[in-house]
Amino acid sequence: MSRLFDGLRAMRDRVLRRPPAEASAAPVGPRAPVLGPADPLLMATVLALVAFGVVMVYSASAVFAAQTFHDGQHFLVRQTMYAVVGLLLVVSLARLDYHLLRPLAYPMLGGSVLLLLYIAVGFGHSAGGAARWISVGPIHVQPAEIAKVAMIFWLAYSLSKKADRIRSFSVGFLPHALVAGFVMLLCLRQPDFGSAVMIALLTFVLLFTAGARTGYILGAALLFAPIAYVLVTRSEYRMRRMQAYLDPFAHRFDVGYQISESLMSFGSGGLWGVGIGDSRQKLFFLPEAHTDFISAIVGEELGFIGILALMIAFSIIIVRGLRAAFRAADDYGTYLAVGITLFIGIQAFTNLAVTMGLLPTKGLALPFLSFGGSSLLVNCAAIGVLLNVSRARPSVAVTTQATDGDEKRDVAPRTGSRRPSAAVGGTS
Amino acid sequence: MRNLDPRRIVWMKVRIAVLAVLLFSAGGAVAHRAYQLQIQQGVDLRKLAEDQYLRDIRLAPKRGTIFDRRGAPLAVSVDVDSVWANPRELRSLGGDPMANALALARVLPGVDAESLARKMASDRYFVWLQRRITPQQAAAVHALALPGVSMSREARRYYPNRDLAAHVLGFADIDGLGIEGIERQYETQLRGSVSAVPAIRDRRGRVVFSEQLLDDRAAQGDDLVLTIDKAIQVVAENELALAVRTSEARAGSVVVMDPQTGELLALANYPTFNPNDPSNATAMARRNRAVTDRYEPGSTIKTFTVAGALAAGAIAPEQLIDCEHGAMRVAEYTIHDSHPWDILTPALILARSSNIGTAKIGAALGRPGLFRTLRRFGFGELTGITLPGETAGILRNYRRWYDMDAATIAFGQGVSVTTMQLAVAMSAIANGGQLMEPILVRSVRDGRGEVVEETLPRVRRQVVPAGTARLVGDMLTAVTGPGGTGVEAAIDGYLVAGKTGTAQKADYVAGGYAADQWIASFVGFVPADHPRLVIAVMIDEPVIEHYGGLVAGPVFRRVGEAALRHLGVPATDGGQILALRAAATRDAALRSRQETELARTACREARREGHACVEPAPVAADLPATPIDDLTPAEGETRVPEVGGRTARAALVALAAAGLVGELEGSGVVASQAPASGEFVPRGQRVRLVLAPRALAGDEPPPPAGPNQDDRTLATAVDVLPTHARVPQ
Repeated sequence: MSRLFDGLRAMRDRVLRRPPAEASAAPVGPRAPVLGPADPLLMATVLALVAFGVVMVYSASAVFAAQTFHDGQHFLVRQTMYAVVGLLLVVSLARLDYHLLRPLAYPMLGGSVLLLLYIAVGFGHSAGGAARWISVGPIHVQPAEIAKVAMIFWLAYSLSKKADRIRSFSVGFLPHALVAGFVMLLCLRQPDFGSAVMIALLTFVLLFTAGARTGYILGAALLFAPIAYVLVTRSEYRMRRMQAYLDPFAHRFDVGYQISESLMSFGSGGLWGVGIGDSRQKLFFLPEAHTDFISAIVGEELGFIGILALMIAFSIIIVRGLRAAFRAADDYGTYLAVGITLFIGIQAFTNLAVTMGLLPTKGLALPFLSFGGSSLLVNCAAIGVLLNVSRARPSVAVTTQATDGDEKRDVAPRTGSRRPSAAVGGTS
Repeated sequence: MRNLDPRRIVWMKVRIAVLAVLLFSAGGAVAHRAYQLQIQQGVDLRKLAEDQYLRDIRLAPKRGTIFDRRGAPLAVSVDVDSVWANPRELRSLGGDPMANALALARVLPGVDAESLARKMASDRYFVWLQRRITPQQAAAVHALALPGVSMSREARRYYPNRDLAAHVLGFADIDGLGIEGIERQYETQLRGSVSAVPAIRDRRGRVVFSEQLLDDRAAQGDDLVLTIDKAIQVVAENELALAVRTSEARAGSVVVMDPQTGELLALANYPTFNPNDPSNATAMARRNRAVTDRYEPGSTIKTFTVAGALAAGAIAPEQLIDCEHGAMRVAEYTIHDSHPWDILTPALILARSSNIGTAKIGAALGRPGLFRTLRRFGFGELTGITLPGETAGILRNYRRWYDMDAATIAFGQGVSVTTMQLAVAMSAIANGGQLMEPILVRSVRDGRGEVVEETLPRVRRQVVPAGTARLVGDMLTAVTGPGGTGVEAAIDGYLVAGKTGTAQKADYVAGGYAADQWIASFVGFVPADHPRLVIAVMIDEPVIEHYGGLVAGPVFRRVGEAALRHLGVPATDGGQILALRAAATRDAALRSRQETELARTACREARREGHACVEPAPVAADLPATPIDDLTPAEGETRVPEVGGRTARAALVALAAAGLVGELEGSGVVASQAPASGEFVPRGQRVRLVLAPRALAGDEPPPPAGPNQDDRTLATAVDVLPTHARVPQ
């Protein structure tokens, strides 16, 4: 067993381009803190999910692709390319010290706001009744996806900077709520209700984590609720989605069609599923089978067992992500980890809840599995950052009040034999 | 968060834990929902899903193939392409009906672009554009890739041998529905199960997958194996056509039957038609007259009158019967013989075909006896052949006979029969008195080749005792012997039993019989001592010659010769047959000498009483001396002919004549053969022929040829003359 673990560790080291332990006698510099390994379990889970996603995208899309593009592997080829780029992103961001992102908080937020504005003005490509895409050459970019991550980075930066003042309304709560509200407004302009809700949730989550007054958060939520209600009732398509959500089979042949088909997919799967590749629902019955509703195909082909396995995988990501948040060297890292973990976890569970009819339909991808470059790359980038946060490191003296106890408990056993690595390039 | 103060860290951890609890509660709800959907409601939801993708689809199964008894295909279904359009799809794809139509009209000759455009502009989901196009046209249409235009495979019925056995097979219409013949009679079996089969379809309604469809043989129609032997059928048709044309007749039929089983080996009619194009054939050409047409048979029926009388003991085999010198009054009519005979035995009555003698035998049998005899031989009832439109002929009940009928029905007037009935009745004489049901379909096989139905010989009844049947059969051999009416039907080397028939046709307009319209017939079996074949020949209204023996006899002989050779029936143990034949001839000669004596006596008496009488000349009995091949093969065997040096075609013809199948290799002339010539081998054996170019033959082994070059080889070898090149065997 131990030999096996040694082998695995060597493999991991190779993946992370880390030199063997013996060569770790280099001097320790101020910009080169001693780093532990990225969380291997988290890494393996993400890798497995991405690979599984490629398989499922192929299974769900082959018939549709053959019909539409006369090439059954149309989506397979693309998703594989995205997956390769995404995994490169994971690996490289895992090696990039997350503190380097701090100065990027405002540029990223500004950039994504600009992109959203660009769409809001009326450019961009529409899909499913909403203009959400900007095409850069052959690549379609979904600014709302970038905006979510930009929000996380900005909130983490801002909250860690404000530190104790977070509990105040004017400094701690209001600026964040205003920025979030503005970004949400731009999302709603597309219209992309799902992204707006996601941004609201992420903002609340991070404010809560940082210790903002719960009363403010609840108040904002209460304020947001009637707005949401008006938005839903005044928008015809959101109203129809709501009806479909409340009673899918009553609207089986119109607005409830997609959700009904999705429920039938899950039902057809039973305990063990019909077998991978054997889905019937993907024969044009279930729309968007390879994107937002890929979990329905997983449910049909792999059954309840498959869905449980999928949920366990996401649970591992959540647990390991929150573990990283607990162990992060500073509060900035904690906020990043919490934001990213919740970002992935909420997406996953919401997507499953939507496809199972627990929540009304909204355009939300299943992280790592759904077809789509924007979503996959953004999630991979986020996981890359999370992995970097998960690496053991001594407290960074950005702010004070570090305690030695924590450092000894968490970091000391692992840092001893590690060679310090240059944060950016990894010179070796 | 280690940079924060410890108290805040604790609270922050608590808050993160709260978030985790919230998130996992949501996860738990999702998992519970999954359990609900997939385990609890799974069955119901699955049913809902199946309702939309499982569709019973109606299959157009592949129509079964019809084979001859040796497996040669007589009627096959070939998949060809048919073009159709989905006008709605066309419109949604933005296609232009007129552009489509013009493009199609360019590749499909003979279709009207305007009507195509009209069809494609309709508001429907499916419309045929052109059905059953050629593969070349299909390729062209496919290459066009027109929007909304698709092709599907449809089966087309095809008769590879054109008019061969056309009346037996009948034909099927464009939708594969049997209209005539076997195609019609066995419609349900040939069509297969048109049952609905569950299949999975996609949302657009196309069948994606079906487990049952994978085994499409299950849905396929059954194959039929006929009793017809293609080789005999060919000969029968050719000889019949030849006879009808040379005698300038109107029509004709030939039925060849195995008397032991009732299996029909050939059933030919003339005129005939090409079932590939039935619409161009006249109703007259399409009529299966051997089964559907009845006519007054004339003398052929005498056989059965005599057999009945002998069986009933109404006459003795050697009884002498006065034939009234060619004329006998019955009621107010006079019955005539073609030649004036006086005293004849039953055998000679048959051989000379005396109407008066037969009438007297019929009278001895009595009206009920005669009626029952003929009815028991199958006249006036359906033979039960599995072909549509069979007629039973007319044999009125004896209670409704006129006085004249009792006499004339005995020799075949006032009764009407079919050629099929004659063949069946003669089979009963041939096989020892058993009336067989004629069999046309030997077996029915399903798509997997398993036999679902096998027709076994069916005996309807024992008509006459076996001894009587044999006795009558012996008597009938005299018909083809010297002095008989059927010498033209005699086959060299085989003893033939049979009976000629020359009937005047009833004149339905003027009443009575037409003076110059005849039906010439011959029905008999061979070899007489161990019958293998019953052949009935009927020629309708021959003009050049009208005697049954002269018109129908040669057809019997030629068909019989070819069929016996094809079946490998040996010339009954070489010399023995000739001995039998000689004995029969001697008997006949003896009898005719006795008769001549009797006739002379009668004549002398008549002259003494002052009547005029021409003395019959003494009959000379001559024995034909036929050389006997002492290398006669045993039954079922044949001798391999020498084919070295011949062209491919000549060699194949020579082998086929000997009942063998040639396998060609290479091209040119035959360089070697295996087995070698002169060997005795079972019939149907394959003989390997190695061909070589003329220059090469004999010098070195020929170059090996590809397996599929036979056709080309044959084509190139046809005109190559036989050469000196002969290889030592």
